[in-house]
Amino acid sequence: MMHHINETPRRPSVLHIFKIYYPDLFGGTLTVIRDICTSLKDAFASAVLVCSQSPERREIVVNDVPVERVRSFGNVLSLPAAPAYPWRLWRRIAEHDLLALHAPFPLADLIFAFGFGARRPLVVHWHADIVTHAGLRWFIEPLMRRTLRRAKAIIVSDHVLVDNTPLLREFEDKCHVVPFGIDTSGYDCSKIEPHHVNDRGRLVLACGRLVPYKGFDVLIRAAAAHNFETWIIGEGAERPRLEQLIQELGLGERVRLLGSVSDSERIKLMCLSDVFVMPSVTNAETFGLVQLEAMAAGRPVVNTALDTAVPHVARHGMEAITVPPGDAEKLGEAIDTLIRDPERRRRMGLSARTRAFTRYSATAFKQGMETVYRNAVTASCEERSATCEPVPTTGWLDTVRIAAALAWSDMRHRYVRSLLGPFWMSLQMAIVVAVLGSVIGQISNTSMLSRLPMLALSMTAWTFLNSVVLDATTALQNSASLIRDRALPPVIFLLQCTFRQALFALHNACVPLLLWLVISPHDLSHALAALPGLLLFIACTFALSLVLGAMATRYRDLKPIIESTLMLAFLASPVIWSSDIINHRSTVMRLNPLTHLFAVWREPLAGVPIDPVSIVYVLITLTLLIFASLLTLVHLRKAAFWI
Amino acid sequence: MVSISLRNICLDYPLYGAYDFSLKRRLLGHLIREPGEMRIIRAVDNVTIEAEAGARIGLAGPNGSGKSTLLRLIAGVYPPSSGSIAVQGNVVPLLGLNAGVNLDFVAEDNIALLLRISGRKPTRSVIDEIWAFTELETRMRRLPLRMFSSGMLMRVLFATATAFPADILLLDEWLSVVDEHFAEKAEVRLLNLVSQAAIVIIASHDQPLLRRTCSTIINLDHGRIASTVTVEPSGTHALELREKRA
Repeated sequence: MMHHINETPRRPSVLHIFKIYYPDLFGGTLTVIRDICTSLKDAFASAVLVCSQSPERREIVVNDVPVERVRSFGNVLSLPAAPAYPWRLWRRIAEHDLLALHAPFPLADLIFAFGFGARRPLVVHWHADIVTHAGLRWFIEPLMRRTLRRAKAIIVSDHVLVDNTPLLREFEDKCHVVPFGIDTSGYDCSKIEPHHVNDRGRLVLACGRLVPYKGFDVLIRAAAAHNFETWIIGEGAERPRLEQLIQELGLGERVRLLGSVSDSERIKLMCLSDVFVMPSVTNAETFGLVQLEAMAAGRPVVNTALDTAVPHVARHGMEAITVPPGDAEKLGEAIDTLIRDPERRRRMGLSARTRAFTRYSATAFKQGMETVYRNAVTASCEERSATCEPVPTTGWLDTVRIAAALAWSDMRHRYVRSLLGPFWMSLQMAIVVAVLGSVIGQISNTSMLSRLPMLALSMTAWTFLNSVVLDATTALQNSASLIRDRALPPVIFLLQCTFRQALFALHNACVPLLLWLVISPHDLSHALAALPGLLLFIACTFALSLVLGAMATRYRDLKPIIESTLMLAFLASPVIWSSDIINHRSTVMRLNPLTHLFAVWREPLAGVPIDPVSIVYVLITLTLLIFASLLTLVHLRKAAFWI
Repeated sequence: MVSISLRNICLDYPLYGAYDFSLKRRLLGHLIREPGEMRIIRAVDNVTIEAEAGARIGLAGPNGSGKSTLLRLIAGVYPPSSGSIAVQGNVVPLLGLNAGVNLDFVAEDNIALLLRISGRKPTRSVIDEIWAFTELETRMRRLPLRMFSSGMLMRVLFATATAFPADILLLDEWLSVVDEHFAEKAEVRLLNLVSQAAIVIIASHDQPLLRRTCSTIINLDHGRIASTVTVEPSGTHALELREKRA
């Protein structure tokens, strides 16, 4: 644990979390991730976890960095539909010393919001705010806020982002401004320069993914009114629309979509061009790394007046002409001004190159990143020394044992107060079954006698489920002193509810047992066949009580809601009704999980094959409940605050 | 190897008001964009304590200075908000004596249940031993605890709680409830327990008790360590106190 002091050669490892990576896409954010990986390679071992639609190899290596690509099945609301991503992320979190989330990526926010990976330091690279699908903000923003709250540091490329993003302003003290930097050595255009200055004087270059916010349609419309040649580097979903626009305006001669080009080719094109244009139209463009590249290549820039770093990187009148976003006319005029004024172009190009060299150097970027990363790792190093769970005094076996002892004592308590003990409840149950049986017999005009054992058993099971869940909603509060003064894990008391009610249910079970012995033909094989279903039933009950018990302790107003919902579910299920009284195909009844939860053991008990739908339904319910239970167990650590 | 290591521990205790327990209100607050501001009190503030086997630490300080909260933090009841905590050894927290008793049960059954809660097997001989320590009549073993006077109840609970030695013993202010004769006996037993335990942390207002039992006294104020005093085991009553920088 002391390796940060002893300077052992092991580099701390960083996991970069984003939605997509090379070679599936090229773009500013990816360049930044790649540059971070490359420039910090002496200090940190980087790895990347992303999604990919390509069915090919999952593990690849890009620029010496291992990249794991989780299979995604297309995009939903700009997010990759990668069901396995949360799982892989959870697994990978444990392997790394530092997590670097490249926001916005709500899928990862979701994982962090659930409290996973809380023990690893997290650094958030704030690349952009959510601009597309802004309608979903009300849902996404609380998630992002949770992520930012637990982040050790937030990295932005320019301070203006903090000023203009309300969400970031909340965490201003955590924000570190690290401007992107580029390795300027590759951008020496001197060899090409003499040949092309004033040579043609009308080549305009733009570069970026072909997506709506880049505003290339504005550029194309601006080109229509003037007489310059426009080349656009990049690929993307907008391509057909842009091509159509070029056709419509009859610009096929002058406007070309070059598609993706290699890095060296791009630099060469930048050196060839006369003006670089960044026509982006929304704040999704936060920095504009390409304009920085163009500046390094000594090109004058035309950019747009966004609320982001874009007009700060290349400033109006010095390195750029800044025009209102989305204004084709102004954009065209600005470009034309530069085209017609070679001297101004040269001057601006020179100052652009100087600014790129001095203000946005790769060295400064590297140092800034390294400092933030290092501080995040050291700050949490102490916490990691406590990676062993604080005080694992009680193992799982002890938990179960204590819960069982408490439940047993609860049951004995009933006997202390009265001789019959819990059998009073059984007596009550017998009366309920008798009354219900006669009433239902009246309604359905059939002999109810043969159905009585099943009715009694169903009522016993229902009482069990209902009591376990309702007990669980108050269990933690009732055991507050044991949790706070004896430091017993809260889960014990939720388990105690299930155990206690199981003991009571065994008492109640004598009613159906007696009825069965008296009335039905005795067929033990049916009872055996019902056992697996019964176990599923009990597992679901316990998981449900765990989740609802914890939630009802945190939010006290949930208890009446849970009570009435359970009652409603009971009435809308075939627990007491038999199939001939009500239509078995009723939609409400088929959607009701309780119906299937009872079907999985009642049908084999009655000698009827189980409907596969019921099995699937119950298994899915159980899976969801188990997942929810795991989350609950994570949060139960805080239960002592709630009681 | 028994040890406790708290490094720069902070605990922000959320104070839930009546409204904070309401899910409906919380959801509504989100919709009408009411800032759901949670009142938080820093109950433990940047506390660093390193304790090795043999340490006897007394926590002193006025009410609300964070003594009990700090003990609960070490016991693992509250997760720390920041800082690191590493505890090695079997922790026995005896913070409230009453926890887990059922007044309707007979004394014997209560003893058995309490032993089970602390993970011990309640054998006949163990219960006999505990009962002998209480010096109560044998026939009272079969009486429900409801019929005991509070002093008697304390005897039973104390005897049960201290029946087994522990690696790390956390004690919170609970020697003041019994009569004088039993208090003496209890203190002897407690000292005996303290001598067997590797690490003891006692929170108390009773400065003389802390001086007798502890090697270090930490004065807490508003969750911070105000001062640390080393008690010289000089044997005489004139204790020399050496102030250390907190």
